[in-house]
Amino acid sequence: MTPQIDMRDAFFDEIYEIGRSDKNVVFLTDDMDAFSLRRFKADMPGQFINVNVAEQGMINTAAGLAMCGKKVFAYGIASFVTMRCYEQIKVNIASMRLPVTIIGVGPGFSFEFDGPTHHGTQDVAIMRAIPEMTIFNLSDTSVASRAARLAYMSEGPVYVRLDKGAFPILSQEDEDFLTGFRVVKPLADINIVSTGYMTPIAVSVTEELASRSLDVGLVDLYRLKPVGDLFYESVLAVSERVVTLEESASTGGLGTIVCELLADHGRPIRVTRLASKDKQFVSYGRRSWFHGQNGIDRASVVNAILSGK
Amino acid sequence: MRTFDNADRAAQTRFLMDKARWVRREVLEAAATAGRGHLGGTFSCTDLFVSLYYGGVLRFDPRNPRWPDRDRLLVGKGHACLALYAIFLDLGMISRKRYEEYGRDGGTLGAQLDITVPGVEYNTGSLGQVAGVAAGIALAAKMDSRQCRAFALMGDAELYEGAVWEAIAFAGEHRLDKLVCIVDRNRLSVTDVVGDDGLFKDFATKLRAFDWDYYEMDGHSFPEILGVAERLKTANKPSMVVANTVKGKGVSFMENEIRWHHAMPGPDQLLLARKELGQAN
Repeated sequence: MTPQIDMRDAFFDEIYEIGRSDKNVVFLTDDMDAFSLRRFKADMPGQFINVNVAEQGMINTAAGLAMCGKKVFAYGIASFVTMRCYEQIKVNIASMRLPVTIIGVGPGFSFEFDGPTHHGTQDVAIMRAIPEMTIFNLSDTSVASRAARLAYMSEGPVYVRLDKGAFPILSQEDEDFLTGFRVVKPLADINIVSTGYMTPIAVSVTEELASRSLDVGLVDLYRLKPVGDLFYESVLAVSERVVTLEESASTGGLGTIVCELLADHGRPIRVTRLASKDKQFVSYGRRSWFHGQNGIDRASVVNAILSGK
Repeated sequence: MRTFDNADRAAQTRFLMDKARWVRREVLEAAATAGRGHLGGTFSCTDLFVSLYYGGVLRFDPRNPRWPDRDRLLVGKGHACLALYAIFLDLGMISRKRYEEYGRDGGTLGAQLDITVPGVEYNTGSLGQVAGVAAGIALAAKMDSRQCRAFALMGDAELYEGAVWEAIAFAGEHRLDKLVCIVDRNRLSVTDVVGDDGLFKDFATKLRAFDWDYYEMDGHSFPEILGVAERLKTANKPSMVVANTVKGKGVSFMENEIRWHHAMPGPDQLLLARKELGQAN
């Protein structure tokens, strides 16, 4: 069995190699740490700056650096590094198509006990509204290291949602990562489209359903913007029913993306949107507890699919 | 571009005054034709723009506006764009035809600056941003040991934006000596007076406490502006330059009148303004 490594390590180890090979790479943080980042800071102090707790300033600094040919990574907690500096991202990065990668750690309910300020359930919706943005929502370490490389090579702005903790590897390194999605379980009449942290949960859902003689397909949509025609043609156009599964709020995330595509193509199939409620949760518990509250835990997803809702 | 030696300062001042008068007249005509523009805030910083572009302050090449080692000017108060369009017209960076597209449906020159215009470094419209973006440019210059400087021209009212103060703290802490912020201190915002009691109280002390150099000057006196510009060349910290200016400068009935933030002159006023500014060419 492949040893599991933390997703942040997979991502930042790749960033380390990129920084080593290109002195124009600059890493900014708003005082956010990660174990695997310390090596970057220690070995490349001239390319690493903690701007302190100042997201607007961090994004503006990133913009100025990128205007001078630097490849910039700006790192912080997903909710703050998007919402606290949204205007800066929209105007100073995106409107001028500057090659800055914003890395948001802690999507969904990964900051379990820190309340709605730290929950990353709205960032996808707002970052999607920026036309020039590419959004990666990482679902395992193989996607993480490839996304680091793709972000570095991008000529425009990129937003990467980076989770904490070890994840099972869902596919091979040699996969074509340019499509933005991967088929994790072969497509069937009913297909789950999941993203990020929810994809391993979706795998266990398909296994549970298979044990009850129901084969359900599973697609991991790890690039939430842009979503290419290929995703529609090879997944949505051949599905009889689609179940979307995400940790983001139901307003503006993966479920919205899928419904927009189906509407635009005039394909009237049943869609079940499983997502967090449109709500700020001033309540506290483990991530799995939040999933239960929102009906996106394994048992609830299995039931939703079996009940045909 | 014309250059002047030290003995010829009076001639240089006359040259700059004439350029500034010409720019204001071009701005007036473009705004009057389009029926839109921000004359008050454009005229308050016209002499600053003219000093930067014609007084040998900015290192740049009009024939190669993307020259990597150029100094960058980022304008916060992008609604003063007409003065820059006029300067770019004069320097041959945009055509007369394009200049006259200002304010037209589907035209390529709007009421804010954008980087599709040669010589424009930054998409304007959102206030309080350029100090921070210019800090990033100054940081890149420092990292690469390059001589290029980053100038950020801001209106005084936009200093109330919090992001400006994040930039002030950052630039002081990192000793970004290639950063120059210039404040067009015309003391009038869209609806109010920007006085000395609040944010601008003890402003020099505040900036020096953040490890910045601080200068104050008459923003309509070319000898003073160029004198400060000379001192900026040896900076070893970021510099804040407060230019005391008059909103609507150059047209008597617009000066210090808040309505000229975006008011347009009627026929009689237009004639009077033309008379005061003289011929365009």
